[in-house]
Amino acid sequence: MHDAAVMESHWGGGAAPFGASWQKTMMWIFIVTDALLFSGLLCGYGFLRMASPAPWPGPSDGPFAIPFIALMTFILITSSATMGSAVGASKLGDHRATLRFLILTIVGGAAFLGCQAYEWAHVIHEGQALTNHAKGAPFLANPWGPPQYGQSFFVLTGFHGSHVLSGLVILIVTAIRTALGKTPAQNIEMAGLYWHFVDLVWVFIFTLFYLI
Amino acid sequence: MSDHAHPYRVYWITWAFLLLVTVAMLAAEAFHMPRWFLVPFLLAFMMLKAVMIGGNFMHLRFEKRNLAFMVFAGIMVTSLILFLYIAPESRHVLDRTVR
Repeated sequence: MHDAAVMESHWGGGAAPFGASWQKTMMWIFIVTDALLFSGLLCGYGFLRMASPAPWPGPSDGPFAIPFIALMTFILITSSATMGSAVGASKLGDHRATLRFLILTIVGGAAFLGCQAYEWAHVIHEGQALTNHAKGAPFLANPWGPPQYGQSFFVLTGFHGSHVLSGLVILIVTAIRTALGKTPAQNIEMAGLYWHFVDLVWVFIFTLFYLI
Repeated sequence: MSDHAHPYRVYWITWAFLLLVTVAMLAAEAFHMPRWFLVPFLLAFMMLKAVMIGGNFMHLRFEKRNLAFMVFAGIMVTSLILFLYIAPESRHVLDRTVR
């Protein structure tokens, strides 16, 4: 292709510079800002960890079972694939398949949230059992390492979990509207963008908090 | 259009790749690789997963290139500046706390 034609196809666009509807452009701008929220939280976590005088617990020193966290990752990645399939089905105009994949995605998201609730309960109970005096969550002190360790866990997974929860609400509303035949394909695509974003954030939390 | 004939294929191929990469990351962790290897390895595979999710699941590969550029550069440049701005300070804080 001629250079000018390449420039035009990639960068031109006149009133729609991104070649997308305003709804989709806005969704992307929202996703970028939301990603920067998590970027800030993860950078803060990095700062706390690097500035911590007490040794930071390694993956197997903390209260987490890595196989369980791997299962959560598997559930979320699979729900992202079913969400993608729902978007694919909606573009073909196949409402039954769209609804089926949306429901599978909702099941996956709910399962992930259940695992996270279990994880929080587990951390809180184990923290209480190991210190045998503390009431409530091991937020200001914890038996595994510096206080910032517990804070990072609750803040990072808490923010992520709240995004999963809001994603689930969006998906349930989208599924109901799809069942009623009221959802255009673009709305499924935008719900999908948000859901994949939640998956994307988990990739970073999984690696930076649990594995490294 | 092949995308039309197999609307789900790209998602499940990506799914399989993501699982493989995750298993590789967990294996590196389980075999207690030395940290100088483990950390760059995990970071590189994390970025690979992010690119696969952004490109295939979120369709950035198929959008106009300036949208992908805005999203990727916007997030990466801001995050790098933020991290490089505060990371050296963590050393100073650590020095002062230990002393």
